[in-house]
Amino acid sequence: MADKPVYEEASIDGQLPKLASIPASDTTVWADASPLLQAACAGLRDGELIHGDNFNLFAAMSALEIMDPKMDSGIVCTYYSIDEAIENGAAPIPISLDSTIDVRCTIDIMDHLLACEAAWHKGHSLAQTVFSCIYLLRLDRTAPHALLHSYCRIIRATCKAVVSVVSDARTHEEEDLFTMTYGLPLNGDGDDKCLSILNAVEETISRQLRACKATSSKRRLPEDLEPLQSNPNLEEGFCKALLCRLRFRKHFFHVLSCMKRPQGRGLESARKHIASCLTELESILKSAGFLRSCFDESCEGDIDDKTTASGFEPIGFDAMLNSRLSAPTPPRAIKILSWKKAVEYFVKLLHDLDVICSYSLDPHLESLLRFVVQFQKSQPDLVARSHLQLLLVQDGKLYGRDPFFAVINKAAALPESTKNHDIQKNESFLQLGMLVMNLLKILCTNAAWQRRKLGKFLQDWRVIYVQLELAFRNEYGEVSSSSNDENTCMKIFQHILLWVEEQTYWIAFRFLILGFELELYSTGEYCMVYWYLYAVLIKLAEKTHLMMAVSHDTAKRKGKKKKDSPKDLARESRIPPAVLFLQCYICLAEGLTMMLAALRNEIPVFHSPSPFNTEHEKFVQHFELLQRACIPDHVSYPSYKESTTHARFSTLAMYNYFKDAQRIAKEVKSSFSNDPERLAELRKLEQVAEHNSVAQNVICRLGALDPSLRVSFEFSHHPFFATVVVKRS
Amino acid sequence: MEQQVGESLIQLGNSDGSNSSSSDPVTRVRKLLFRRMLVGIKDGRFFLGTFHCLDKQGNIILQDTIEYRSTRRSSPSPMEQRCLGLVLIPSSCQNSCHVDCSVEEQLSLLKV
Repeated sequence: MADKPVYEEASIDGQLPKLASIPASDTTVWADASPLLQAACAGLRDGELIHGDNFNLFAAMSALEIMDPKMDSGIVCTYYSIDEAIENGAAPIPISLDSTIDVRCTIDIMDHLLACEAAWHKGHSLAQTVFSCIYLLRLDRTAPHALLHSYCRIIRATCKAVVSVVSDARTHEEEDLFTMTYGLPLNGDGDDKCLSILNAVEETISRQLRACKATSSKRRLPEDLEPLQSNPNLEEGFCKALLCRLRFRKHFFHVLSCMKRPQGRGLESARKHIASCLTELESILKSAGFLRSCFDESCEGDIDDKTTASGFEPIGFDAMLNSRLSAPTPPRAIKILSWKKAVEYFVKLLHDLDVICSYSLDPHLESLLRFVVQFQKSQPDLVARSHLQLLLVQDGKLYGRDPFFAVINKAAALPESTKNHDIQKNESFLQLGMLVMNLLKILCTNAAWQRRKLGKFLQDWRVIYVQLELAFRNEYGEVSSSSNDENTCMKIFQHILLWVEEQTYWIAFRFLILGFELELYSTGEYCMVYWYLYAVLIKLAEKTHLMMAVSHDTAKRKGKKKKDSPKDLARESRIPPAVLFLQCYICLAEGLTMMLAALRNEIPVFHSPSPFNTEHEKFVQHFELLQRACIPDHVSYPSYKESTTHARFSTLAMYNYFKDAQRIAKEVKSSFSNDPERLAELRKLEQVAEHNSVAQNVICRLGALDPSLRVSFEFSHHPFFATVVVKRS
Repeated sequence: MEQQVGESLIQLGNSDGSNSSSSDPVTRVRKLLFRRMLVGIKDGRFFLGTFHCLDKQGNIILQDTIEYRSTRRSSPSPMEQRCLGLVLIPSSCQNSCHVDCSVEEQLSLLKV
């Protein structure tokens, strides 16, 4: 380490007085034990320890290792405290007496702060990233330096706003480092004025830019303005580089505050600011060329690794200074994102936020759920996910606007009159509302946490189903037909029960496919996974179909005045496209199950039991949560065994499920011509089906005969339906 | 394990008094167990805790440890402290090591 001489120096001149300041008790003294310990070490045999009765090797393993960079957060590197660092000139103000260098260094600080901010969003602690900036730690000191002061102030305000969004959303259980701010000076007076301060600075610089442009074109401006810095050749470039950085901060701050407005009222203006942010980020990227070229000294190393656009090391940062604040988590030695990566991160974040802002606040739950799932496919980071969640659930209402009972009402196709029905005061209905709210929240979390939560959550849905069913039986079990009101209630219950089942299977389906995303399944387990997926999908399709029939019924009754056209009748008898869509999934899942089972049954290589746990144990590990909630009913390991033991190539050859899938995908595409997202999905499904159909033919013809045939599985066409690849080795 | 403890107890009895300095250093270090120990390390921090374990390489484990650090490199300066619990201080970073004992004990216990 470069600081080694410093250590030694510290220990020599500091030792005695410091010892005196840690007193032994009144009657005792500190006696130097090092020579004795050394002698004892020499006397010990290899592996021998000196320890007492209470020693436990296992417990000793958990000891915090001092000076280990991953465990010891207290390592003193350069400075002992912020004050000492400042006294030693680690964060001077002004940064340089040469105004040109001062401006360049200010830009470096801005760039490094952006990189720090991105690293923070990506999961490192605030203390080790943004607040490694000594200027931020003592913000008041920067007051004489308007440029730096305004930038630091808005950074602090932005961090505070982001922390509040993330902690309000509570989507961050897995990412709890994010909101740890204790000990950091995050709250300062007057941060509400940060925008006006920034605007004033921006105004000055844009006037300076105008002035320098005027001078270069030999015109004179009436205003008498000091230039930004002393070198006229660099004036324009510096002014521009600063302006885009300041404006980015301004717009980004606006984005955050607009998105926080209740009931999505700020989304439209947020989108405008997002567009401005993206433009400014582009200018920031462009400014790199100028910043790199304006000084003769060239910097070493690859520019892509640097945290600043100019490539210079920024002044005024020391991540170790307050690493103690990041306790109790170990202060991992972290790497701040490079400046380029940081800009890329913000571009992605802004795009994700734009997707949220452009959503139409559709009160229909089904399309909302699909929107959230689709949004998650782009793997948005924590900040974007938190914003989505806060938008969806506000004050216990959807978008802070629609009560969840009304949302369920709509989703379960209940008659309009139920909206104000007394039934919503029923305990089970209140709970159901909570479940839907929680479902939305869970869907906004990261994939790993989401899967775990969904798995446990299934039981709650099962319980609510049973409760509703009981309540329904108690009230209407005996009554055959009676007053109009009771009839309505009965209808409500019937619809709701069906709808709850549909949701439950949808959640189970999500749970299973998240396992693919998280790569939790090994090739040897695909067979049972696809089998289970198939079982869940069958139920989901069944419930969806019933639900559609019921809602169609309601809709039809509503519009009774219209004549039943023959076209309408024809449509009714057909299977709805949404169900056909699921049917396509079903065929693929079934096809893959059967092919995998046949491979296992007929080619010995495929049937290699794991040395660690049996197939049954694996089945339990993967589907325990589903089994516990009886999803679906009567599905168990024996039923899995039973349905797959007889799979043979000869039977596969007779019936090709993939051909079915391909056909359905082709047919149903026309029904989704105005739904690009599902159309894209269907195209993928079609590809997988086509590939697998061919692969299956090859396997059936040659599989048993040709021992050199190698079969592998890839997710090249679809995220969770594997493409079968057959090769000859 | 039990045998070891018995051994150390016996030796403790034997080494009582004047002839302690002549007894085996391992035995004498064993007697320091559970005492308060102050270990200084190379970056200027001190760790005060109960002596828990020592191995051949000289690594020390302390229990219920408090870390002391000064706020300035130049001394004297005020100390900051925080609790760390069980810590392992590798011999490579140790700088000094003191035990808490009475003045009369000091000579007999620690002389090599």
